[in-house]
Amino acid sequence: MRYAILLLGAPYSHQASHSALRFAHALLARGHSLDAVFFYHDGVQNAARLAAPPQDERHVVDEWIALHAEHGTSLEVCIAAALRRGLLDEREAARHGKSGHSIDAPFELTGLGQLIDLGQRCDRLITFAP
Amino acid sequence: MLLHVLNRSPATSRVYQQALTMMGEEDRLLLVEDGVQGALPQMVRHFGEVQGRLFALEEDLASRGLLGRCDASVQVVDVDGFVLLTEQAERTMSWY
Repeated sequence: MRYAILLLGAPYSHQASHSALRFAHALLARGHSLDAVFFYHDGVQNAARLAAPPQDERHVVDEWIALHAEHGTSLEVCIAAALRRGLLDEREAARHGKSGHSIDAPFELTGLGQLIDLGQRCDRLITFAP
Repeated sequence: MLLHVLNRSPATSRVYQQALTMMGEEDRLLLVEDGVQGALPQMVRHFGEVQGRLFALEEDLASRGLLGRCDASVQVVDVDGFVLLTEQAERTMSWY
């Protein structure tokens, strides 16, 4: 089956990111595919390029990137939720006159239309919230 | 049949009441994160109307030191079982 995940919780604040990652690996191990993870509300914090947790702790941002690298899962970030939380890619940073950017590939800034599309395209859409 | 996923304890949130109100006769309820507290014998009465269709996530029970403390009416599943429940359900609804 084709799965998608909607993640609404920020890492290091709530369990949602951990629950979503655990579920993602379990569904892949069962032979399903994970088309995309859509990061919305405070969930956009999962895409923070500059996250630097202590080395003996899980690096949630890098775990999403690894999921993309190993399984081709696209990492889609709601642009409206991201911009108001200071999460901008290079293009948006330039457009808003900011000196640095805080989101990088493989995370992609995208719109809510993508979430609707995922809901229609995938067999299952599972929400992990704070 | 829908799968409802609840991550709040009945001790701290009433959202479980909304979940129960929305549940169809065949629907299942999975308790995750702090929601697993609802599987304890002293709390399970809140879920009496879905007896036999109530599940709790093993990993979240274990991380809270609650493994082996669930009421006998609750079916404990691991994350693999969570995926299986989503396979069997037409759709999944999360309550939080």
